[in-house]
Amino acid sequence: MTDMALIIQLLFIGVSLGGVYALMGSGLTIVFGVMRIVNIAHAALMMVASYVTYFAYIRIGMDPILSIFLTIPLMYFVGVITYKVFFSRLSKGIRYGELTVLLTFSIALIVEGLLGYFFTNTYRSTSPTYSTSAFLFGELFLPKGQFYATILSIVLIAALWAFLRYTRIGNAIRATMQNPTAAQVVGVNIEKASVVAFGIGLALGGAAGSLSTYMFPFYPGKHWEWIGILLSLIVLGGMGSLLGALVGAMLLAVTATFVSHYFGPTWSAVTFFLALFLILLFRPEGLFGKKMEVK
Amino acid sequence: MTAHNAVNVTLQHEQDAILGRVTPGKKWFLVSLLLVSFLTPVLIFFVNGMNYYLHMLLTTFMYIALASSWNMIGGFTGYTSLGHNVFLAIGGYFSGLIFAELGISPFITAPLAGLIAGALGLAFGLISLRTRGPAFIISTIAMVLLLKLTFDRWDLIGGTGGMSLPFLKVPSMYTKVPFYYGMLLLAIGAVYLSYRIRHSKFGLGLRAISQDEVKAEVAGIPTNRYKILAFAASALFVGSVGARYGYYLTYLRPNIFLTVIVGAQLVLMSVLGGKGTVSGPIVGAVLFIGINEFFVASLGSSELNIVATGVLLAIVLLFFPAGIVGSLKEADRLPSIFDWD
Repeated sequence: MTDMALIIQLLFIGVSLGGVYALMGSGLTIVFGVMRIVNIAHAALMMVASYVTYFAYIRIGMDPILSIFLTIPLMYFVGVITYKVFFSRLSKGIRYGELTVLLTFSIALIVEGLLGYFFTNTYRSTSPTYSTSAFLFGELFLPKGQFYATILSIVLIAALWAFLRYTRIGNAIRATMQNPTAAQVVGVNIEKASVVAFGIGLALGGAAGSLSTYMFPFYPGKHWEWIGILLSLIVLGGMGSLLGALVGAMLLAVTATFVSHYFGPTWSAVTFFLALFLILLFRPEGLFGKKMEVK
Repeated sequence: MTAHNAVNVTLQHEQDAILGRVTPGKKWFLVSLLLVSFLTPVLIFFVNGMNYYLHMLLTTFMYIALASSWNMIGGFTGYTSLGHNVFLAIGGYFSGLIFAELGISPFITAPLAGLIAGALGLAFGLISLRTRGPAFIISTIAMVLLLKLTFDRWDLIGGTGGMSLPFLKVPSMYTKVPFYYGMLLLAIGAVYLSYRIRHSKFGLGLRAISQDEVKAEVAGIPTNRYKILAFAASALFVGSVGARYGYYLTYLRPNIFLTVIVGAQLVLMSVLGGKGTVSGPIVGAVLFIGINEFFVASLGSSELNIVATGVLLAIVLLFFPAGIVGSLKEADRLPSIFDWD
């Protein structure tokens, strides 16, 4: 393979991973944008969708891609419940940002522990036929499963964008993201916008959880690695920015693919954590976002 | 009168009030508690199965030292660190490596391990404390994940498999005793440091930072220097504990020190007892040991233990954010022997 072909090949793989990362990150960024909650439990709840998809695949042979029709409503529902139980009565006091991080952190622990208790700590994955085949272009290849997942991810993100842009509740959510106080003054029901946004955030995570089952083997504790990756890409893109999540995901996925090729796959995760660290230090507001400091 | 003088005056007032409150009763309570703690190991000559109780007590001392240390940054200063187990790992691996390579006992190198952890805390604080709120918390999680990845792949210290340390060569009856005293001394040291910080100008500055950092800065408190020093101080004893804990276990593995749950438990203890108070982390640590022992004994599963940690943390955060000591104090029901603030 020539150098140029290799670079294009790595770009292919990076971009086709980036779409799924973006889908995972978009839910997290929406939740932060609307409620200023850094949802540490996002990846843990994503794992719930992964397990649902896994068992649907094992027991009744349901296609992992099709099972997003199962996990999207399910996780929306889980999101609404989670919001009602943990966040609806919380006042936005001086320690709100910190308190919510710790709360979502404890949710992550609860979910991880329950998953571990019921499904043990063994690695799981689904293996539909497209997960092992690829489109070939001369000497280049594009894994089919990753390609489908990325296309679907981009479609879902576009659908979210359209929802926020063209529906009434979508507009309410956007208004809340821009300025909660002003939104309330002009009659936006912030509480409703928050519930819906939290539900949608987790629904997107649910779809991503389904799609990831055939690309990344998972076990309950894996969500810590994921949340590190997701935080790094949405912090890079700017917390609360949908476009930022997409761009951040693509940039980091491509970088990680190159790191993985030249330094070995074990170091690709380090890319994300190091990036997270550096961005927090030098540009905490990311590429497209506002500052994350919340009082 | 400048703002700084105003702070000094407030401090003087407060110190007077506090010195007045250290009653003879509290003094006797403290002295007898220490006396009992120091004499308990003598019981091994009279009571069978004492090793179990010594194990429980030394674990309690360890957690008291850890929680009190965490409280210096997480409680007094208001910067929640979810990654303090990093310093535990640094201390453990530092002393363990010296022990394995040079044969010098971790008991001797533990203070040095503490200093190394403190220095690293200083370095990490210098970079990380430029962020605030959620961003800071995330950066501490990133610190754990990054160190775990590095340790997992570092051949010198055995990677994921870790490294084994030789046993302490004493008759089995006495094996717990040196660790018991080692941990007891660290607990006393950490609590004493925490008490001294709480009642110093430095501590007052930290509390100002936790209330409102901008105003504290305006009032003339060198917030940056204070925060970083608090972070380094909070790493100090954690490193020393790590050195002794690793030797106690006789093996070091990234999975023991560097999982997120360990960092979470440090937070839980302080939040449970009451962060920002001197006695809160102690109460929290003792309760945590009790609850943990109950869950492991009755449920016997580490997964459910994780669930319990999460549920407990959520309940405390939602319903008693001030913790036990803090809530009792607000209600004016705190027994005076627990009131060291």
